[in-house]
Amino acid sequence: MTLEGYLTLSLMLFCIGVFAVLSQRNLIAVLIGVELMMNAASLNVMAFNRFSVTDPTTGQIFVLIIIGLAAAEVAIFLSIIVNLYRTRRTIDAEQLTELQG
Amino acid sequence: MDTLNLILATTFAPFAAFVLAILFLMRQPRLAQVVVIAGGTLSLAGAVSLLSAGPVEPLRYLWFTSGDIQLRFGFLLDGLSLMFGVAVALITLCVMVYSLGYMGHDPSKTRYFAMLALFEWAMLSFVYAVDLMQTFIFWELVGLASFFLIGFWYEKPSATAAAKKAFLMTRVGDVGLFIGVLMVLQVAGHFDVPGLLATEGGLVAQATPAVLTTITLLIFVGIVGKSAQFPLHTWLPDAMEGPTPVSALLHSATMVAAGVYLMARLHPLFMGSETTLGIILIVASMTALLAATMAMVATDIKRVLAYSSISQLGFMLLGLAAGSLFAGVFHLITHALFKALLFLCSGLFIHHLETNDMAQIGRGGGRRMRFATAGLVVGGAALAGIPPLGGFFSKEEIFAALGHDGVTLFSVVALLAAFLTAYYTFRMIFLVTRPQQVEAVDVHGDHDRAEPLSMALPVVLLTVGAAVAGFWGGDIARGLGIEAGHHSLAAMAPALAVVALGVLVAWLDFGRQTATRTGFIARMPALERLFTNGWYVDAFYDAVIVRITMLAATILYAAESRLLDANFDRLGFGVLGLGSGTRRLQNGWVQFYGGWAVVLVGLAAAYFGMSD
Repeated sequence: MTLEGYLTLSLMLFCIGVFAVLSQRNLIAVLIGVELMMNAASLNVMAFNRFSVTDPTTGQIFVLIIIGLAAAEVAIFLSIIVNLYRTRRTIDAEQLTELQG
Repeated sequence: MDTLNLILATTFAPFAAFVLAILFLMRQPRLAQVVVIAGGTLSLAGAVSLLSAGPVEPLRYLWFTSGDIQLRFGFLLDGLSLMFGVAVALITLCVMVYSLGYMGHDPSKTRYFAMLALFEWAMLSFVYAVDLMQTFIFWELVGLASFFLIGFWYEKPSATAAAKKAFLMTRVGDVGLFIGVLMVLQVAGHFDVPGLLATEGGLVAQATPAVLTTITLLIFVGIVGKSAQFPLHTWLPDAMEGPTPVSALLHSATMVAAGVYLMARLHPLFMGSETTLGIILIVASMTALLAATMAMVATDIKRVLAYSSISQLGFMLLGLAAGSLFAGVFHLITHALFKALLFLCSGLFIHHLETNDMAQIGRGGGRRMRFATAGLVVGGAALAGIPPLGGFFSKEEIFAALGHDGVTLFSVVALLAAFLTAYYTFRMIFLVTRPQQVEAVDVHGDHDRAEPLSMALPVVLLTVGAAVAGFWGGDIARGLGIEAGHHSLAAMAPALAVVALGVLVAWLDFGRQTATRTGFIARMPALERLFTNGWYVDAFYDAVIVRITMLAATILYAAESRLLDANFDRLGFGVLGLGSGTRRLQNGWVQFYGGWAVVLVGLAAAYFGMSD
């Protein structure tokens, strides 16, 4: 596999994530889209780490931080969604428009 | 008590009564009456003791300083102000007591009495004012009180219209007065009345003749408005829409006399300008004659008296302009007494017989009302100038002053006006007391109640006052510091002759049993129409000035609403539309924002990627 192959896969994952974030009405699906984008970024970093960096530990540290960050973010995101569902009885992004002008 | 406390009590007692009544006693009219009359009594007592103490040095207190100009409030206690102050306080108290009966059944008595107190405060402060600006302020306050009292029965459209007319027409004059006062400041640098009148260093010495003429003419414009002189006289007859005691107090005896008083106050200034004196002579003699002709055809008793007031105010100004301070002031004081008396008598008739028409008053049995009839005869005779009553001596002084430089046009006009005065006065007396037949029974209820004590007492008091006021001439002259001259019988002869002629003609027309009871003027229909319509002055105002003003107002209204207002509206609505358009972008839908973010970031990336 070449660097381009990894980068193409990563780009495809990222675009799927963006599409999910923008198109899905269900907040859980939006969360999944965000996770996809994060993993695309991790894959990107690891690809560069493998092919063009002399010390391989640098990229691994970045990726470990991203994974930790994603775990924390999922916890917060899910708790927000649960609370939203309790108070509003919906997690449809299109109906949560109270901050409109 | 020292002078300061005394003068403060005199002027502020009515003010305190006004504040108490209007703020706290709206629901206790009886208590309000007591408070106001107590204030009036205190004022009269103060004014009388000030007069008996005699003139003192002016009291001045700094109000504020602005640059080099110092505005002071204070009291000028000389013979003129002391005497007129007593006249004002006396007549006000008489009218207040009289109003107990006249306004007894009115639901808003408190407002009425409070306004009387407001008027008395303003008028007394005006009379005693030491500073020209203070004079002006209280002059305006007097006009305000007059507005409230003319429009007292505000449910009546005619009363509110009359109040508005009086206010606006006097305002026309006041603009002139205000400019005059400001010009005085410009020339002299201060407003102090004694300083302005001083023979050395006064305004006459400071101002050039042209400037002095301008100033005095502008002040005279204010006097024309307030004292209802031609051509601003038409508000006064309409002001009779107010309650009759108000007419007695404001629109004959005291308030309209404020203009004459101002001229007397500033007499040395006026004496400094021949041109002004000439113009005043012309205006005043025209007014005296014109108003007398209107009085001789009026049928409403109050309007006769109103026109007569205008005419007599003209006489006072004639006396002052002819150079005699004494003649003007003397007539001012005698007129105040007998005209207040005449109005109060007419009020008795109106109150009991419920009509203003003189012939109806006569038929309804007006002469059965003893106090009113006696007052009417005495007051009327004083007004006509029958010796030895009040009006005779004071009018005599005016004729003497006018005849000082030989027989002039003005003295002829004044004699003619005096003839008409005697004629219309006795026309009124004969119409009331000698009707062709009288209704046998008094249909207006209990006759004994027709003249209650509260209304009879002031009438009796003023009857005595009007009868004896003529003998106060010497005292008044001394108070003014002038030597009163004695007039020979020959000098009095022409005046006596025209008065006698006037009474005789009135007797032939209205008095004798076989009289036609139509005036001799009815044989000249054109003249009668002219007089009845008040020389078409009001018609002229309606046709020209009112129409021009309305036209200008319409044009300005159109310009305002179509040009200014509409464009500002357009501006506002434009911004509003812009805002509500932009508002739609922020729809609260997160994914909409996110999509735009992706698109914009993508565009930015593409742009920077290509520029590399």
